[in-house]
Amino acid sequence: MARQLPIEIFMPPNILKAKVGSAAGGIDMAAIKRAEAAMETLKVEFHDWLASDVAQLGTSRDAFAAAPSATTREDLFRAAHDLKGEADTFEYPMIARMAASLTKLIDATNVSTAIPLGLVDAHVAAIRVVFREKIKTSTDRIATVLVEELEARVAEMLSGA
Amino acid sequence: MSGYRFDRLKVLVVDDNQHMRKLVVAILQAFGVVQIFEAADGNRAWTTLREANPDVVILDWMMEGLSGIDVVKMVRTSPQTPNPFVPIIMLTGYTQIDHVRQARDAGVNEFLAKPVSVKAVMSRLVSVIEHPRPYVRTKAYFGPCRRRRGKEEYRGPERRATQADAMPTDAAA
Repeated sequence: MARQLPIEIFMPPNILKAKVGSAAGGIDMAAIKRAEAAMETLKVEFHDWLASDVAQLGTSRDAFAAAPSATTREDLFRAAHDLKGEADTFEYPMIARMAASLTKLIDATNVSTAIPLGLVDAHVAAIRVVFREKIKTSTDRIATVLVEELEARVAEMLSGA
Repeated sequence: MSGYRFDRLKVLVVDDNQHMRKLVVAILQAFGVVQIFEAADGNRAWTTLREANPDVVILDWMMEGLSGIDVVKMVRTSPQTPNPFVPIIMLTGYTQIDHVRQARDAGVNEFLAKPVSVKAVMSRLVSVIEHPRPYVRTKAYFGPCRRRRGKEEYRGPERRATQADAMPTDAAA
């Protein structure tokens, strides 16, 4: 492809550096430790935070099941995408993996009515089980069987098998 | 040593998930950032951007209404933007290469993939402070240079010769 001309390249003044100064001796490890301590303090809230997002996934699933449309599909995708992004941070890696599988299914199915509700429900149910059983490792045998089955079913569905 | 004066920074955190926002805000506060503004969607982010004129924006991608990508494009090109050069760190659960490319093409400076970690947040902040990219203006794009590093910054061994040596030639294939 032809390069777009003219191209103007310039370096704006580094106002950010002028404001915060330099850390010539390296990163302030005390700041890192403070932040890690802050995260530890917040961990007591992770379970409640995740509970509300798992509940939101259920609500979005119900709205989508009642009236599949671009809007309800988008809401369902967003709820799953939120879980995919945060569940690992909130110490539920298997929920993150299951939610990733669900986002893949929704994202790859452009027509709302073509999204298999049974497979959506299987993801939602599996996420609820992992959360209810407080499975916080990525090596739990039951959770591994569940997520591998979900991923395989999504792959199968997307390959048109 | 005391490190950066993060207390002098104004940071805008945009995420429609209040828990993720709370987590990022807690990390920033622990770093010493005092002036933190929050927005729960793209529209409010745009309003806050113009009112507060932050020094750094940490922005979620997937939001109802204006997406993070929409906000980035507005920051870089809208006549109403308070600062088209403001460093934007995109915080997202999207990690596929085409999403990274899309974010880069919109004018994002750094990409921070969820799950969030303290070290990753610090690393992206340090990157926008210490390694600002040149800006590029073409007919179709305005924003940070999309090439990751300048040639002069590379200090490792010359790899191209090695790669070329390893490439199969037609004669050899």
